[in-house]
Amino acid sequence: MKNSKENRSTNKKKNEIGLTRRRFLKLSGVTGAFIWTTHRPIGQLDSPLASPLQKKAQYEEKWVVTSCLNCQGRCGIRVKVVNQKAINVTGNPHSQVSEGKICPRAHIGLQVLYDPERIISPLKRTSSEKGKQIDPQWKPISWDQALEEVSRNLRNLREGLRPHHLLLFSGLNSRSSEDLISRFAEAYGTPNLVTGEGLDWEAERTGNWMADGHFDICAYDLDQTNYILSFGADLLESTPPVSRWLRKWGKFRREKSIRTKVVEIQPRYSLTASKSDEWIPINPGTDGALAMGIAHIIIREELFDHRFINEWTFGFKQYREMVLQNYKPEVVSKMTGIPAETIYRIAREFAQTRPALAIPGKGALAWPGGSSVGYAIRCLNALVGSIDVLGGILYQEQPEYRAIPKVPSDEITKKGLKQSPLDFRGTDRFPASRVVTNQIPQSLIERKPYPIEMAIGFNSNFNMTAPNSRSWEEALKRIPFYVHVAPFISEMAQFADLLLPSTTYLEEWGYDHSSSGAGFAEVRIKQPVIKPIGGSKSIGDIIFLLAERIPGVVAEAFNGIGNCAEEFVRLRTSSFLPWEEFLKKGVWKGPPYQYKKYSTLFHTPSKKFEFVSGNLRALLNKKGRAVREGTEILPHYSRVRWLGDESQFPLILFPYQPLLTFENGSQNYPWAQEIFLPMQGVGWTSPAEVNPETARSLNLREHDRIWIESPFGKIQTYVKISEGVPPNMVCIPFGQGHTSYGKWQKGIGCNPNEVIGVDFDLLSGQSAFFNTRVKIYKA
Amino acid sequence: MVIDLDKCTGCQACTIACKVENNIPHGSPEEQRLRREIYWHKTIAVSRGKFPHIRTEILPMPCMQCEHPPCVTVCPAKATYRREDGIIMQSYRRCIGCKYCMVACPYGARSFNYKAQETKPYHRQDEPPNQKSWGPWPFPTRTQGVVEKCTFCFHRIDQGIKEGKKIGIEVVPACVEACPSQARTFGDLDDPQSQISRLLASRSSFRLREELATHPKVIYLSR
Repeated sequence: MKNSKENRSTNKKKNEIGLTRRRFLKLSGVTGAFIWTTHRPIGQLDSPLASPLQKKAQYEEKWVVTSCLNCQGRCGIRVKVVNQKAINVTGNPHSQVSEGKICPRAHIGLQVLYDPERIISPLKRTSSEKGKQIDPQWKPISWDQALEEVSRNLRNLREGLRPHHLLLFSGLNSRSSEDLISRFAEAYGTPNLVTGEGLDWEAERTGNWMADGHFDICAYDLDQTNYILSFGADLLESTPPVSRWLRKWGKFRREKSIRTKVVEIQPRYSLTASKSDEWIPINPGTDGALAMGIAHIIIREELFDHRFINEWTFGFKQYREMVLQNYKPEVVSKMTGIPAETIYRIAREFAQTRPALAIPGKGALAWPGGSSVGYAIRCLNALVGSIDVLGGILYQEQPEYRAIPKVPSDEITKKGLKQSPLDFRGTDRFPASRVVTNQIPQSLIERKPYPIEMAIGFNSNFNMTAPNSRSWEEALKRIPFYVHVAPFISEMAQFADLLLPSTTYLEEWGYDHSSSGAGFAEVRIKQPVIKPIGGSKSIGDIIFLLAERIPGVVAEAFNGIGNCAEEFVRLRTSSFLPWEEFLKKGVWKGPPYQYKKYSTLFHTPSKKFEFVSGNLRALLNKKGRAVREGTEILPHYSRVRWLGDESQFPLILFPYQPLLTFENGSQNYPWAQEIFLPMQGVGWTSPAEVNPETARSLNLREHDRIWIESPFGKIQTYVKISEGVPPNMVCIPFGQGHTSYGKWQKGIGCNPNEVIGVDFDLLSGQSAFFNTRVKIYKA
Repeated sequence: MVIDLDKCTGCQACTIACKVENNIPHGSPEEQRLRREIYWHKTIAVSRGKFPHIRTEILPMPCMQCEHPPCVTVCPAKATYRREDGIIMQSYRRCIGCKYCMVACPYGARSFNYKAQETKPYHRQDEPPNQKSWGPWPFPTRTQGVVEKCTFCFHRIDQGIKEGKKIGIEVVPACVEACPSQARTFGDLDDPQSQISRLLASRSSFRLREELATHPKVIYLSR
């Protein structure tokens, strides 16, 4: 028995090859794991249970600091690059403008970079006809050939003593590219460098300049302010720098002891209005009257900052009389459609909750007479003493880049620069303007003051972003030789004779700083995150290459400032940080902001804040124009000038810019497209929002296709019924309606600019966006 | 997770950061029409009232990670389960794609993956992401025909714990990290000393559809 038991137990433990059960299990486990790791069918390991794939040998990760360029905010960012592929974007914690935070658009930079429909080599038009629907029949050519063709035309024009017949467009570009472009224009001898600023900011800038001599948009001390009165400013969607607003919104709501109250005044219930404490719908175009009405109450009830008014302002007496006489709250209430009690209440709140801010936005300023509205809102800030104080209006400090040699000039340059600019800036027509973007189509079509023979567009897409697209298309057709420089074939590129592929902002060298917002100066480096895709070259490099092919002063102007974009950036930023440190840190921040610099702050004849604009008086006198003393140089409200007859076009077209609208001229980014309109819960589209009452009276139902017709054209979209729109308005977002390229944008939605008419604030040259009347009917 | 609706700006950085982090396929106009888009995080707007007395609340919504998750209860394949730390997970290998959990979820937090990988590239439009270029990534590829959902970025949390980092301070989900207004706070709700518990104690808060007794662990601070 004993023997057999022993036998059995040994049998159990050992078989012929001496494999125990435990060893077998171990071995099979190892073999299984081996098979598992080596033969890994794609698509079966995506369970959360699967361990992260760690392949050290192939894996190279780095973070590159650079700067975003999807809007004017130009935030400092960091990009995670794994094996030469950019895979993630975060904010740069060193950047203090937005405290290292970024807006959603910055994340989508990845799709800007890897847009599958980017162009990768220079393209030449072979079709002789130009037009929106006409296929240009692009033919790829080499860079040498392309540059030679452009420079040959540039040389011919200059040798023909007509340098001013060159027109340059500049869209959204980094500051370094902007500097190079304007240097090129100056050396070449053309006064015709046109940016998109005439579409966005000129009214605000001119309004500020009238008050205190600073031709700049406002900066705000959002950390300390206790009350925000926003006039038509979509603070959380389109007020630059957006990321700063997004970050500070959290901060001033719940990260300080007193919660900041935000009052949003605008006709439409926007995202910002929904997030504000109070939304006050106002009759479109009457923000100026409201600002004056508020001033009336503050002055009559003696709620203004006596000390600031007495010591640092000029012309208060005249302003006071005018306001007390003309803008009684009851009168203003009739104009604006806001109950008088509400005006009293917000005026008192605004004056008594200090520091308070009154913020002008595009919705209030992009009207004829917009600069005066901007002036009126600036004056509100002065009344409550919110000028250059904690929690008040700040004056943006500009970074001082290393100076470079002055642009050399010869006779041709001098003569060219003396010519009147194509957009009539600074002339009698637009006395205070610095650029009148939307005047260009008319000048081109009428060939006045002179014909344009050649144009170069750098990342511009004005026939999408400026009112009345059709006039732009007509005008672009008439440019004999148009060169477009961009990473993709935008709507404006459709009209090009030659297309040069530029890099996106993630592949170029540059430096950048935000549009006004933070007060203190801050500069960010831009460095290539990956090698340029395809054969694209950065705009900086393209300008250097072009300049060296134009012998004489142009080549000279680009000599000794580095021979390429990288060296130029290195030279210009050497005043901030050592190069290596800058490349690593990415951000240079200027000294902390100094408040209350009143003795040196105001650039006006009286050296004080002016309620009666001495700057404007001097300018108008210089132009030989009679000044209407009572009104013209004081902030005032003028009645809206509508485009279109009310009886025929009963509704007002009120477009708006959602946060996920890109400002680089493309919208071919699915991440942005699918969540384009959070308030409506839809993407991939741009519906026309109408009030239910309006829809009922016109017999329209949700999702009905409709035409929106103005005196200038018609577009088709569908109805979205919304309670947030007043009964006399139609609201359509900007950003859609692309026609030229892109699987993710072409043919999606409509572009309200196609039906908006051309009008200006005649003082500043600001394009009006909101004064077009339309009618809608079933398609 | 606590979301402060007073600080939230409705910018949707959370939604996009989630797509980037977890390599979630983007949609198309057609898919939106068919409601076949995949979101692990979405932002919805709830409106009431008539002009001009209207009120719209924007609600950012990740998976609520319920204490009593209906999705786990109904799953016939035991593909969705609750981790020890409370995160509700989805095993794509067990999932049979019956969508029962999607019906059960009162928050619409789940999406079904209709996409065949070969034909529809994800956010990297130039090519489908491949393992070589993505490196250590929790979801280098995806499976067609299974239900997907938010994981509270469990891969970040697990990695953080391994490295001994403070969860909720040094390590947070992608949406929390991306939020520009810092409306989101992540942490341990069971620890009364944690930042998140203190924040919760300081303000009035609510959870979505409390009447269903799912006890969501995403809590909103009211405005």
